[in-house]
Amino acid sequence: MTTTPESPPLPMPQPDATTQFFWDGVAKHELWIQRCQSCGHYLHYPKVLCRFCQSDDLAGERVSGRAALYTWTIAVQPFHPFYVDRVPYIVATVELVEQPGLMFMSQVVDCAEEDLRIGMPLEVVFVELAPELTLPFFRPAAEVS
Amino acid sequence: MATGQRVAIVGLGYSHVARNSGLTVNDHVIQATKAALADSGLTMHDIDGVTSVGTEPLNDAWLLGIEPVNWWASGMMAPAFSYSAVQAIAAIASGFCHTALALRVIQQQPSSSALVKGAGANHPMTSMLHAAAGDRQFLTPFGAGSPVQWAGMFTQRYMSQFGATEEDFGRHVVTQRYHASMNDEAIFRDPITLDDYLAARYVSKPLRILDCDYPVDSGSAVIFTTEERARDLDQPVVLVDSYALTAVRDLNFEIMSDMVHTAPVATAKSLWERTDLTPGDVDTAQLYDGFSIIVFQWLEALGFCGEGEAGAFVAEGNTRLGGSLPVNTDGGACNVGRRHGANFCIEATRQLRGQCGERQVDSAEVAVFTNAVGPFAAGAILTRG
Repeated sequence: MTTTPESPPLPMPQPDATTQFFWDGVAKHELWIQRCQSCGHYLHYPKVLCRFCQSDDLAGERVSGRAALYTWTIAVQPFHPFYVDRVPYIVATVELVEQPGLMFMSQVVDCAEEDLRIGMPLEVVFVELAPELTLPFFRPAAEVS
Repeated sequence: MATGQRVAIVGLGYSHVARNSGLTVNDHVIQATKAALADSGLTMHDIDGVTSVGTEPLNDAWLLGIEPVNWWASGMMAPAFSYSAVQAIAAIASGFCHTALALRVIQQQPSSSALVKGAGANHPMTSMLHAAAGDRQFLTPFGAGSPVQWAGMFTQRYMSQFGATEEDFGRHVVTQRYHASMNDEAIFRDPITLDDYLAARYVSKPLRILDCDYPVDSGSAVIFTTEERARDLDQPVVLVDSYALTAVRDLNFEIMSDMVHTAPVATAKSLWERTDLTPGDVDTAQLYDGFSIIVFQWLEALGFCGEGEAGAFVAEGNTRLGGSLPVNTDGGACNVGRRHGANFCIEATRQLRGQCGERQVDSAEVAVFTNAVGPFAAGAILTRG
């Protein structure tokens, strides 16, 4: 394995049997969230047991990718070598529309800092940070009636 | 009133605390414990229980010569020192042991710039921040996962929800520094102004460097015992009136669905349910300040002010020495350095003993100390015995 000193290591996710569906979805530019097949609750982060009904019948399902901005912070200090030259960026926690309290932490892109406000509608957008690394970020969306 | 035997705090001690102390973890354990024993008038042989966050309590007990050990407990991802404190209190109240040593020892973390350059490649903090397995596969790739980032998000949500301002947090930071100016043990003692605060750099906007506790090597020790034993010692007696430990979810701060009402709400509810005292009875509050927003959450959770009113409460001078509720009278962890909560227990006890000199709260009879925010929290209400 060779690495060049010029290119920092990528912060590659390490999927496991419980989370593979999520990254498979990302590869198709689709947002998939784990859902209990017994009681219907969504779960994030993915787990091996539904904490609402204790069923282990869990499966990934595609969701709309629509969300509301819950909060954000402007990351100005990097904590991973990959992000040293990428600050500032907007780290945000969003609430997916599928279920109250179904939170997803990501980045918000295509939005000026002064335009951020809690509750603003967002939609998922898949951003290729490197050929090997695509992530689901969020960007402002039109109001949904 | 808490059930079981009444528990007292009888010994307080710190090691030599510094950004780079040059001391080992064992040095901090030994120095802090000896200081707490000297403060209490007890000997090592009087201790029969040990708890620690940051070290292995049985190794500490063996090192120190504590035997037999009738009770021990350890915790890593816990509400810091207050976890050790409430465990020790519960162990004595139940009769599990009679005299417990509670420790919090911290080795300094490498700086963030050193971490991203790989200088601290073998440090646990580096492996945590760079790991992308398990739950962290949903943090690290996204450029998140540092505590300052959830703290920045907690702060932003609070500001957006209640219209709070950066000046609100700044006034709190200025007040704490004023208190530190009267504390010989504080690392930062030069008073600052609101302008100084607003000129400080952001680490995760709106969170500024002055909103963060200061990383140091530190060892802290507190000795708890029964009220009966405490009355035979020379120090003024300080009693535990109520205590609580609460978790509201797993350890993931970043996906909490309510970042305003977090574990301190549940902990405060338990604290008040277990006492006849009320918020109006409290003379001084020592509230964990790992980040400024945590102090605001505790002020509101404990009912010292209304929801979203912590900024105004601070601006009115309530939290300043001489105000209605002096808060963090030692200067807080932002100024005395990261004792990870132990300083709040120690300062609360010193205030009730009347040993705080220039920064003494007049006729302090009731104090509260707390730790943590988000998923878990702990704290206790103390009275002069």
